[in-house]
Amino acid sequence: MSRWRWPGVALAAGVGVSTGALASPAQDYALHCMGCHGATAEGVPGKVPGLAHTLVQFMRSAAGRSYVLRVPGASNSMLSDAQLAEVLNWIAGHFGADQPAAAVSPFTAQEVAAHRRMPMASVQATRREVVKELAATGSAPAEDY
Amino acid sequence: MHPLDRLFEKSSRSLAQRTSRRSFIAVLGQALTGSMLLPLLPIDRASRAEARTSPPDSEGAHKAPSDDPQSCEYWKYCAIDGFLCSCCGGSSHTCPPGTAMSTIAWIGTCHNPGDGRDYILSYNDCCGKASCGNCSCNRNEREKPLYRLSRNNDINWCIANTESDYHCTVSLILGVTET
Repeated sequence: MSRWRWPGVALAAGVGVSTGALASPAQDYALHCMGCHGATAEGVPGKVPGLAHTLVQFMRSAAGRSYVLRVPGASNSMLSDAQLAEVLNWIAGHFGADQPAAAVSPFTAQEVAAHRRMPMASVQATRREVVKELAATGSAPAEDY
Repeated sequence: MHPLDRLFEKSSRSLAQRTSRRSFIAVLGQALTGSMLLPLLPIDRASRAEARTSPPDSEGAHKAPSDDPQSCEYWKYCAIDGFLCSCCGGSSHTCPPGTAMSTIAWIGTCHNPGDGRDYILSYNDCCGKASCGNCSCNRNEREKPLYRLSRNNDINWCIANTESDYHCTVSLILGVTET
């Protein structure tokens, strides 16, 4: 059982008091992702792409999975390949309740290693292509960002 | 003649043969001009002036932890860089009236000497008003250079808000680090 006490309530209330110990990968999410993507991984509309629900959608295709591993926040993070795989799988399961992560294959350290170091010239252009492909086969994230 | 006198005479004559009074005056002039221009060199005065005018500022130097949320040495501020909202009409974790908390934030970890535990903290900027100017506090534990964007706290985290004017910074406890 996770010892993580989700901070969203404290943040929303503006109190900021939580004494729960953070277990990895929840701790990795807090330290390396939450600053921008937020406590509920919803992102900031128009500014920061959300991960909740959309990460699982990207994980449906090979191009989507590669995109996720090559976006700057993931590829340049201070997480190891194994940690990045673990935290992405955790996000998919924790914030993608409407599309169970079990429906897609989890990331592995080997998959992360094979993709994260390939530079992506244009995040926006790549995202548009991936989203278009996903939309043709089912639910897809928003094109913007 | 005493050997010591001979030595000084010899060295003086040697010096006189190699130099002229004019060159001595030139060197003296350069030294005097240099010493006068030295204070005009571009050194960092702003940070020193800030340190003098805004106590209890702190940068780098480790001081005794404080229990006062208006003190830069308060344990929750170990990785902060900005004006303390507790000195600006808010508290250590709430924004002053008329400002909105930033939607994105810098995340740091601080050791609480009170209970001996390490906490994960979110440093959110309060946005929508001009800089508060009170209690500037610049501690940078575990901060990284700008190329580690999410680990750099020099950024105005109000950039994702509708009103992006920076006012002050709060520190929110997210949880205890895993041991």
